[in-house]
Amino acid sequence: MSLQKPIMRGLLAKRLRFHLPIAFALSLIAAAAFKYGVTEPRKQAYADFYKQYDAMKEFNGMKEAGIFESVRPSGE
Amino acid sequence: MAHPSQLGLQDAASPVMEELLHFHDHALMIVLLISTLVLYIIVSMVSTKLTNKYILDSQEIEIVWTILPAVILILIALPSLRILYLMDEINDPHLTIKAMGHQWYWSYEYTDYEDLGFDSYMVPTQDLVPGQFRLLETDHRMVVPMESPIRVLVSAEDVLHSWAVPALGVKMDAVPGRLNQTAFIVSRPGVFYGQCSEICGANHSFMPIVVEAVPLVHFENWSSLMLEDA
Repeated sequence: MSLQKPIMRGLLAKRLRFHLPIAFALSLIAAAAFKYGVTEPRKQAYADFYKQYDAMKEFNGMKEAGIFESVRPSGE
Repeated sequence: MAHPSQLGLQDAASPVMEELLHFHDHALMIVLLISTLVLYIIVSMVSTKLTNKYILDSQEIEIVWTILPAVILILIALPSLRILYLMDEINDPHLTIKAMGHQWYWSYEYTDYEDLGFDSYMVPTQDLVPGQFRLLETDHRMVVPMESPIRVLVSAEDVLHSWAVPALGVKMDAVPGRLNQTAFIVSRPGVFYGQCSEICGANHSFMPIVVEAVPLVHFENWSSLMLEDA
């Protein structure tokens, strides 16, 4: 009765064939998560902010709060 | 200005800074991609029971890890060059201001129409009023009209300085004997802070920059008042 000869070659290559696709997949998932979790929401946030932005209204609010040096609130 | 525990860039107040912000996100995404890959590989190399771990040669992997980094670099370079050329477009400024660096304050000259010039010193900490920011406020601010292209000519009277306002995406070295040009458009009204960005002596950290963007009519009133006071 003889034992089956164990696999003695190609062990690292086998390990790499298993792990490298997982590594690439995980890194692509991380990049996609960052893109759709951070990058795209930030672009959308800027677009939304400026869509409804009323510069004069914001300016008047800041002016009344006394933020500017060149123009003082109405009371002053 | 920056806020406590801030990690990322300041909110953009100019179109160029918005582009730079998005590019930074793009570059950071690529950094995350590479870091995840490398971290996984390190953990897998360290946690193996194999004793003979070192491949002596493999044409396939050599080709992959030459081509893939080249592709990644192109993916970074293309948006980067787009923004670089965007910043250099002919911009036909409405106003030109000279920002001169001194030890240790900035001076601004508005000489397009009249001869307006003033110095801008940091407000010392003991003179701050509640609501003002330590090491960032100045006695006179550089007031500009909002939504107008502005050209700033930056130079220095003594040693190297650098005129920087992060929210506007602007930084330009102030070199004695040289005129450097930069330009920006402020997208919204507000007050934007910056600090000298080139070591220039003992008070390098104490010569901030404050840009105040207001509607054109208020800018004109301000410049008339400043001329009267001068």
